[in-house]
Amino acid sequence: MERLWWLLPLALALVVGALCPMAGTLLLVQRRLFLANLVSHAVLPGLALALALRIDPGLGGVLSGLAGALLAERFSRGERQAPPGDDAVLNTVLAGFLGLGVLLIPLLGIRVNLEAVLFGDLLAAAPPDLLRSLVALGALLLLLRLRYRHYVYLGVDPLGAASAGLPVRRLRLLLTLVTAFTVVSAMVAVGVVLVIGLMGAPALFGLPGASSLRQAMGRAAVAGLLLSGGGFVLALQPAVNLPPGPLIGVLCMGLLPLAAWRQRRLALLGG
Amino acid sequence: MLRVEGLSVRRGDGLALEAVGFALQPGSLTALVGPNGAGKSTLLQALEGQLQPAAGTILWEGQPLTPALARQQLALMPQRGEISWGFPITVRELVGLGRLAAQRPGCCDVEAALQRVGLAALADRRLDQLSGGQQQRALLARTLVQPARLLLLDEPCAAIDPPTRTELLRVMGSLRDAGLTLLVSSHDWGPDLDAYDRVLVLDRRLLADGTPPQVRQALGDLRVGHHCCG
Repeated sequence: MERLWWLLPLALALVVGALCPMAGTLLLVQRRLFLANLVSHAVLPGLALALALRIDPGLGGVLSGLAGALLAERFSRGERQAPPGDDAVLNTVLAGFLGLGVLLIPLLGIRVNLEAVLFGDLLAAAPPDLLRSLVALGALLLLLRLRYRHYVYLGVDPLGAASAGLPVRRLRLLLTLVTAFTVVSAMVAVGVVLVIGLMGAPALFGLPGASSLRQAMGRAAVAGLLLSGGGFVLALQPAVNLPPGPLIGVLCMGLLPLAAWRQRRLALLGG
Repeated sequence: MLRVEGLSVRRGDGLALEAVGFALQPGSLTALVGPNGAGKSTLLQALEGQLQPAAGTILWEGQPLTPALARQQLALMPQRGEISWGFPITVRELVGLGRLAAQRPGCCDVEAALQRVGLAALADRRLDQLSGGQQQRALLARTLVQPARLLLLDEPCAAIDPPTRTELLRVMGSLRDAGLTLLVSSHDWGPDLDAYDRVLVLDRRLLADGTPPQVRQALGDLRVGHHCCG
C-alpha cells in the first residue's frame, strides 16, 4: 500500500486540474476572474480563525473569501465602464485580507505552515482534501446544471439579463460562493497564490474557437488536467524533484504562448 | 399604449432627463433622435424600469408601468458596447436566450425570428464570426422572441454600413406592419428619418415631436450628415 502513496495526491491534482479551469472559464466570460485572485488571498483570515476555533479550516476559508469578495463589491461599482478606482478597491481588499491573515496567526497563537497555504503541499494531501475538492466540483456542476443558460445570458449581455428579470445579484453571489469553494479546495494542491494560474491559463486556451461556454469549459478542463496531472508526475521525477504546486504554476505560464498561437491560427483560418 | 408624463431622471449630480412627455400608439415605428448624452439610453432604461424616475409617471394602457409589467410588455435591444461579442455562443443560442425568463411566448419562436431578420442560414455560426450588421440582426432576433409588444432598440444602426442599415430599417418596418411598436434611438439623423412614422427629438428635454417633415420644419435645417437610421 505504501507504494501507492502517490495515488491520493494525483487524484487531488486531477480533480483540482479539472475544477479550477472550469470555474476560471466561467469567471473569465463574466469578466470576473479578478474575483478568484481576490478570494484566494482573502481566505487566509478565515483559515486562521477556524484553526483557532478548532473548526474545519476549509469552512473558515470559504466564509472569509466570500466576505472579502462581498466587501470589494460593496466599495466598487462593478459596471462595464467602471471608474478606474475599482482596481484600487479590489487590490486594497486583497492586501488587507492577506495582511489580516498574516497578523492573526501570531495574535491567535496558532501554528500554520504559511508556505503550504500560499504555494500548496500536494504531497501532504489527505482524504478530506480530496473530498473537499469533489464537493467543490459537485457544487460547480450542480450550479451549471441548474443555471447554465442564466450564466450564458449574464456573460454575453449583463444589461439584457438584468432587463429580462434574471436575478443578477443572486447569480453573482452563487458564483462567488463556488469560487471560494474552488479556491479553498485547491489550496492543498497548488496553494492560494498559485490557484489563479490554474484558473486563468487553461481558460485562455479553451475559449478561442469554442462555439459554446460548455465546450470552452470542457477544453479548459482537459488542458488543466494535463497541466496539473503532468506537473505532479513531472515534479516527482528524480531528475526534477521539485515541489508540484509551483511547478504547475510555471507550466500554466508556459501555456500562454500556446494559447496565443492557437488564437492567432484560428483568426487566420477565419474561425 | 405607453404614455410618459413629466418624466425626470437623475444621474449623478444632475438631471439626465427633464420633464419629458410623449405617448406611443400601437403598431408605430418611432425614432428617438438626439446627440450623444441627450438622455436617449437613460429614457429607454427608465421605460424598462431599470432607472427610477425623480419625477413624472410612465403609464402602460393607463396603469403605472412597474418593472414586472415592463418585463412582460417591453424588450430592450441594448447598444453594441454592452454586448460581449467574443463570448462563445452561436447565433441560435443567443436568440434562444430571449425566451429564458419569459412567462409567455413572444411574437416569434427562435426559428421564425431568425427567418424574419434573415439569419436562418447563419444560425449555427459563432457570434464573433458575423459582420457588425449581422450581429445587430441577431440581437434584434433575440428581442423578437421576448414576449413584448413594445421593442426598445438602443442605437441598432450604430457602426454599420449603409446597405445593412437600409436592410435593418426594412426589417423594423416589417415588424411595425406586423403590429409591433418600436422605439428606436439614434444620435444621428438624415434621409433615413423618413422611414419612421414619427420622430422624438431629445436633448435632456423633448425638443420636438411629430412626423419627420414636421420635426425638420420645427427644428430648421439641422441635418448633420447622412448617418444611421434616423
